[in-house]
Amino acid sequence: MTARLLAALPALALAACGDGGTTSPGFTDHQVIADFADRVVIPTYALLDERAAALHDAALALRAAPTPANLTAAQAAWVATRVPWEQSEGFLFGPVSAQGFDPAMDSWPVDRTDLEAVIASSDPLTATYVRNLPETQKGFHAIEYLVFGEARDRVATDLDARELEYLTGLTHELTTVTAALEASWTTGAPAYRDVFATAGAAGNTAYPSLDAAAQEILVGMSGICDEVANGKIADPYDAHDPNLVESQYSYNSILDFADNLRSVENAYTGDVPAAGSTGRGLDEVVRAIDPALDARFRAELADAIAKIQAIPDPFRDAITTPAAYPAIEAAQAAIRTVQTTIDGDLTASVR
Amino acid sequence: MTARRAALALATLAACDGAPRAPAPGGDTTVADRTSNAYSLPAPNLAPAELDRHLAGDVGFDATFVRGPAPINPGLGPLYNHNACAACHGKDGRGLPMFAPTGSQALVRVSLADGTPELPGAPVPVPGLGGQLQDHGVFGVPAEVAIELAWTERTGRYGDGTPYQLRAPTLALRHPDGGALDPAILTSFRQAPAVFGLGLLEAIPDAALEAAADPADRDGDGISGRVNQVWDVDAGAVRIGRFGHKAGNPTLVQQAAAAYANDMGVTSRRFGGDAEVDDAVVAATAFYTATLGVPARAPGDVAAGEARFDAFGCAACHTPLQTSGPHPIAALAEQTFAPYTDLLLHDLGPDLADQRPEFQADGREWRTPPLWGLGLVATVLPGASYLHDGRARTVAEAILWHGGEAEAARERFRTASAAERAELLRFLSAL
Repeated sequence: MTARLLAALPALALAACGDGGTTSPGFTDHQVIADFADRVVIPTYALLDERAAALHDAALALRAAPTPANLTAAQAAWVATRVPWEQSEGFLFGPVSAQGFDPAMDSWPVDRTDLEAVIASSDPLTATYVRNLPETQKGFHAIEYLVFGEARDRVATDLDARELEYLTGLTHELTTVTAALEASWTTGAPAYRDVFATAGAAGNTAYPSLDAAAQEILVGMSGICDEVANGKIADPYDAHDPNLVESQYSYNSILDFADNLRSVENAYTGDVPAAGSTGRGLDEVVRAIDPALDARFRAELADAIAKIQAIPDPFRDAITTPAAYPAIEAAQAAIRTVQTTIDGDLTASVR
Repeated sequence: MTARRAALALATLAACDGAPRAPAPGGDTTVADRTSNAYSLPAPNLAPAELDRHLAGDVGFDATFVRGPAPINPGLGPLYNHNACAACHGKDGRGLPMFAPTGSQALVRVSLADGTPELPGAPVPVPGLGGQLQDHGVFGVPAEVAIELAWTERTGRYGDGTPYQLRAPTLALRHPDGGALDPAILTSFRQAPAVFGLGLLEAIPDAALEAAADPADRDGDGISGRVNQVWDVDAGAVRIGRFGHKAGNPTLVQQAAAAYANDMGVTSRRFGGDAEVDDAVVAATAFYTATLGVPARAPGDVAAGEARFDAFGCAACHTPLQTSGPHPIAALAEQTFAPYTDLLLHDLGPDLADQRPEFQADGREWRTPPLWGLGLVATVLPGASYLHDGRARTVAEAILWHGGEAEAARERFRTASAAERAELLRFLSAL
């Protein structure tokens, strides 16, 4: 969940001259900040909510008729819902962390001991009961475990009535979380959209300047690169331990990583292709100053995504297959190149 | 090896036309970041091996525990408050004052007024409950209590007539059978504090804390800070308490081990018998919190507000500057830094009193919390609140709750002009 966040931003230049020092105004493009909220964050969360609803529908269909076709459809719906979530991990600030939406959806590992105990019990699986279950028995990975089995080996007829009831309880609960996450940015007092998009306005203590908001975007982009290269890939790879792999039941890890890098791309461009959303991004600011840097950064992003996709699937097997090690390390190197550019040239450029 | 990029040292930021400036908040551990990640960066002056250790500790701090047997992170419970360090210290910041079926970010300590403590001088455990209420259990294990938190509003006025509202918490504590907790049990409701910069606080020499203490208020300023004297389980002796809202733990290692055991039900050698995490894990977690850097101040001129901070008397307890002595982590030794705490116990008056003693701290005393990073609370964790139990929704409310030794300072703030109050708050928001 939490990124390892090592990247510092050399250009942050918190002009520590408390008295009398001059400070550069830094980043001043309000449209980029507003569009980041309205055209990147909110459309990503809206897509997540939409796809979570479709996942719930697929789970209900599977429960009604546990056929191979319905199981395949539920698995596809899970993978589709995973896309906007992973594409949101480049901006894990604000309510998603503070209000606990991240662990409510994406806790890892799954507490399989207690998950199995709940299923084996006769507790009525009401919506309230499921809502009150610990986070490690809910969310993406508990759903993943039920629909994919331990090693993408689930057979529809293996799922008993109790497991199917638990599954639909989890998918329903997921939709309440995704709806609340989207709402946290769009409604309420204050909607977090209004906090972020009014960066620099008088009285905005969270983002006292547009520059502070731009730094938040850049730190998020950098942080997810660090997390993927040095956490999500490195932790299981260095230990050669499949137990440490996230999304190991579905064999979806490589797609997860690629979508994390697309999150960086979306944050940079102000667009979310998967949601059909476009906006003014940092890329336009960079292009105006240093078109070569923009071109290089785009190429580095494309390279990182390509190298991730070149890791032999499934990732949990690749980390114990020496022939796959060069591909894993090449992907890590490419992601670190992206991060280095964000931390250095890109940050310097937009300020 | 990974291409790790530590935060750059503050020296880079100090090119300021020779103008005199305050010491960096964390000395050489200061990080140049004012984003939601500001509390989560390693001190930039760590040696490479120290950075590796910090990163290992980071993994442990984030680890989500589950019920065993399990291939990774077994050991949760059977009773617990939450399942990960980071679940309550989100983004290495404070928690929220919330109790929820899915996991609680706050907790309630309990003890008896009389009896025999487990550790010399410690609070007396409650038979069957111990020293902390666990409001969660693994499947089939009933929680000790259900905790319901309610807020009661009250109103007040600034000296210029401007009204304000405060809220005070009330807890309903019920056993699984519905029965209320015995009212003779002393309780203390606390939210999780932030965990960055703690190594510097550990490195302040005992002698400096003792020199600042003035238990009998011999200087007659109305402020009588005291050091807490607590049991150090490793030393097997009494030591100065530094960590926790009442300074009930002497070291970060002991603080971490106690939190594993009490908050997550994860036992280790020091607490709970059979070790579900070994000494190395506990040490790595303590090391992680010791070596998280301290955010630099926000840009801008807040000298007027800083002067108010002194003039109102805030600085009498929120000591601006401290200096560390030797420390096993070289990055923390011999630093001058600005935590705005004296780490001493002070009577904060009846409104904030929990009436539950902890070692030498009496029922009205709290340890002065550091104020560094205060201005980033809303950025790191929107919705977070202040004081030991999160009752203060704003920094102004937190100030207005101060009583006891801090009453005079509070009154200077309360009766100041709106412009003067705003100056002070602007200064605090730059921390």
